[in-house]
Amino acid sequence: MQTKSKLRFDPNSPRIKEYLDQVHHHTFMGEGTMVAFPTCLPGMTIQIPLDESHITALAAAPDGTVYGATSGRRSHLFIASLHWLNGIVFDLGMPAGATQGAAVCCTDAGFVAFVNGARGGRAISAPLLDLAPEDLIQEWGFERPDLTDHGECVAGEAVVHAVVDASRKTIVGTTTRHIFTMDASFKVHVVAEAPGNGRIAVASRGGIFGRDEGATLWRYDPASQSLERKAVKLPEGFGDQPPLWATDRHTGVLYTADAQGTLYSFHEGQGFSGPLGRAPLAPVGPMAVTFDGRVFGFCGDEMAKMFCYDPAARTVSNLGVAVSVLERRRYGYVFGDAVTGRDGEIIFGEDDNGGHVWMYFPRIRDARA
Amino acid sequence: MMQPKGIGRRDFMRAGAGIVSAGLAVAQASGAQNAAPDAEPYKVHWYPFTEHPDSDTCWSLSVGPDGRIYAAACAEGVPGGVVKPVRYNEQKDGLDYLFNLAEMVDDPGDSGHATQCKIHYSFAPSMHDHVMYMATHLSGPPIDLPVYNPWYSWHDKKRLFRGAALLAFDTQHDRVLWWDTMIPKEGCRCLLHDEERGLLYAISYPRDHFFIYDLKTRQRRDLGRIGSINSQTVFLDRRHRVWTTNDYGHLVRYTPDTDRLEISPDTLPHANYQTGWHSVFYDVAPAPDRECVYASTWCPNPHLMRIWPNEGEWPRIEDLGPATQDRDLTFPVDMFRDHCGGLVFGGDGKLYYVASRWRDPVYNPLPPPHKEREGVVWRLDPRTLERTEVTRLVHPNGFAHYVSRGAVDHNGDLFFGHVGSNPCGIFKVSMPADRKRENAHLPIRMWG
Repeated sequence: MQTKSKLRFDPNSPRIKEYLDQVHHHTFMGEGTMVAFPTCLPGMTIQIPLDESHITALAAAPDGTVYGATSGRRSHLFIASLHWLNGIVFDLGMPAGATQGAAVCCTDAGFVAFVNGARGGRAISAPLLDLAPEDLIQEWGFERPDLTDHGECVAGEAVVHAVVDASRKTIVGTTTRHIFTMDASFKVHVVAEAPGNGRIAVASRGGIFGRDEGATLWRYDPASQSLERKAVKLPEGFGDQPPLWATDRHTGVLYTADAQGTLYSFHEGQGFSGPLGRAPLAPVGPMAVTFDGRVFGFCGDEMAKMFCYDPAARTVSNLGVAVSVLERRRYGYVFGDAVTGRDGEIIFGEDDNGGHVWMYFPRIRDARA
Repeated sequence: MMQPKGIGRRDFMRAGAGIVSAGLAVAQASGAQNAAPDAEPYKVHWYPFTEHPDSDTCWSLSVGPDGRIYAAACAEGVPGGVVKPVRYNEQKDGLDYLFNLAEMVDDPGDSGHATQCKIHYSFAPSMHDHVMYMATHLSGPPIDLPVYNPWYSWHDKKRLFRGAALLAFDTQHDRVLWWDTMIPKEGCRCLLHDEERGLLYAISYPRDHFFIYDLKTRQRRDLGRIGSINSQTVFLDRRHRVWTTNDYGHLVRYTPDTDRLEISPDTLPHANYQTGWHSVFYDVAPAPDRECVYASTWCPNPHLMRIWPNEGEWPRIEDLGPATQDRDLTFPVDMFRDHCGGLVFGGDGKLYYVASRWRDPVYNPLPPPHKEREGVVWRLDPRTLERTEVTRLVHPNGFAHYVSRGAVDHNGDLFFGHVGSNPCGIFKVSMPADRKRENAHLPIRMWG
């Protein structure tokens, strides 16, 4: 009989002990708590089908409910009401022919989802719902709202992204070739021809910024309805990276990352900060800002890891792979969008088969420390 | 009892066999419907993987297209450990060690990466060309590290598992024909061959994606994620649909015509105090007429079931009841102790399987000479559903309660792969002469 193999390391060495500590305690969610919520009323309705549930767009309404859109074989629109006596992801329906949810906006006139399919990107609207009076423990009774199809925003062009301005009356969006606005009566106005690339964001003074040609951003001012091309130069390192943004609601500061995962802040009027730190992996995916200014997001493809940028400490930390052991036991690998929830929790949309709405509750800081 | 801090996922499998208490009352296993007969008609023989002393598990055992038994001598707990496929040699009544698979696929155990340490329910025969396909799984640590965690190391180019290697072995000429990386970065948890269409189906670990591999073009397609808990089996029906399960015990069906993964409305049978969560397939054996399959679940208190995939929009499923014993419902019995696998139809047309039995002071106080844990070979009559205990597997110095897979060879004898001893090995159960038949392995099972 052959002899057994001998170890080629000292199991009691500091290197091995450190490795084991990292594996056992820092692979998954080293800080805070994740809860994966299925796209249904758990125990009562079925989830959005496996291949129709990639959550790619989210928007938070003022009352804390979250509206979203999925991508896949068919696109679904939904509302996630995870507070009060609710606890439901309510499937609002499937716009005919839609396979991609590009953006969702919550305006005073209702929510508007921008969906793509065989034709150009279309706007679909419905009133905002108030589910707070519903008691989803005892008994309930609400109806699915009618979805209104406002047609293609720009004929033959897919919608890339859209946001609502600070007044919550005007939507600014991009298609693959144009910038457009949509007013409170859902009428579309083409602003200019410009390549749509990545997401756009509302900055601290109300200007809306999107990726422009070259390493620049355009700026659109909703008040004056004016567009400034190549208004801001991007820091080096962005390459062709489609930008993603996170907004600090309190300060209006935007956060973004370049192709290497280097994080920057952007303040309208002041421009970009210097490098704030580097996410553990690239590319950086969706991120959002909690009430105390910390930025939480995902980085890395296929199996993303969560990171935290703490502006007070100016540190970036790796929080590990997302996992939920409350409500649903599920790993989270790919995320499509993020918004800040009612109480500062971060809501992530899972861009995967069987995608869930994930709530991340950051660790509470010790204010006395 | 809680596992002591620092105990790894697999460590509990190696709990000592010497924990034997005396003076206990007579066994009263709730699953038993008939008393055990004497052992002679089903003589048990143990074949340890002595030529691969690092081996600690045998996750795959299947009959090949040649009617011989193939097994995987896996080494997942050993840094740098590799898998060596073996074959039962009836002439010498022993095992032939076919090759070091890691070397065959140019991914040796000392690469510094997670290793090609095992084949996990991933033998799949090909009858027309006498090929045995085999695909590898991960978990064996790099040679200089004590453990490997695929989530931790997913983005670590130095440590990352290269991917599930698919290898085609010509059983007529004993040579490796070709190999390919079937699933990059991930392991292959289970494998199926649709021979008529030249397709392999697999489920990946850890991401639980469903893959289709075209043997003609050697191209893979990723159909996307199913969930978080791997089903341990995929099976095929008459219409070339592929079946597996999701985290919540629903059937998952892939239909080639629609190219979709769909989820059944109902859950698989499970204990009434459970929800169906984790009721994923463990093992699935086709009935000889291919009209139904028999399955067990990878879940505490696993149930046996019979599934009729060719009936209705979604299959009719019969709950055949728990496969193992009663227990304290407040205690989460681990799935290594509480286990049912090795489902295989014998030449007599009866289903054989191995279910664990363990000592429990209240529910099953097994007295000596019973060991603390036992692997019981059951015979189930598909017509009456009567179950009979036919023998117990006996390991020379350890437990023999965790059988991964079972198969019947061309002579009609049963073989079972075993997990949990070191070195590991396989059992042969010699069938009574009146319950054997020539080419008992046909029609052959096409999945691992």
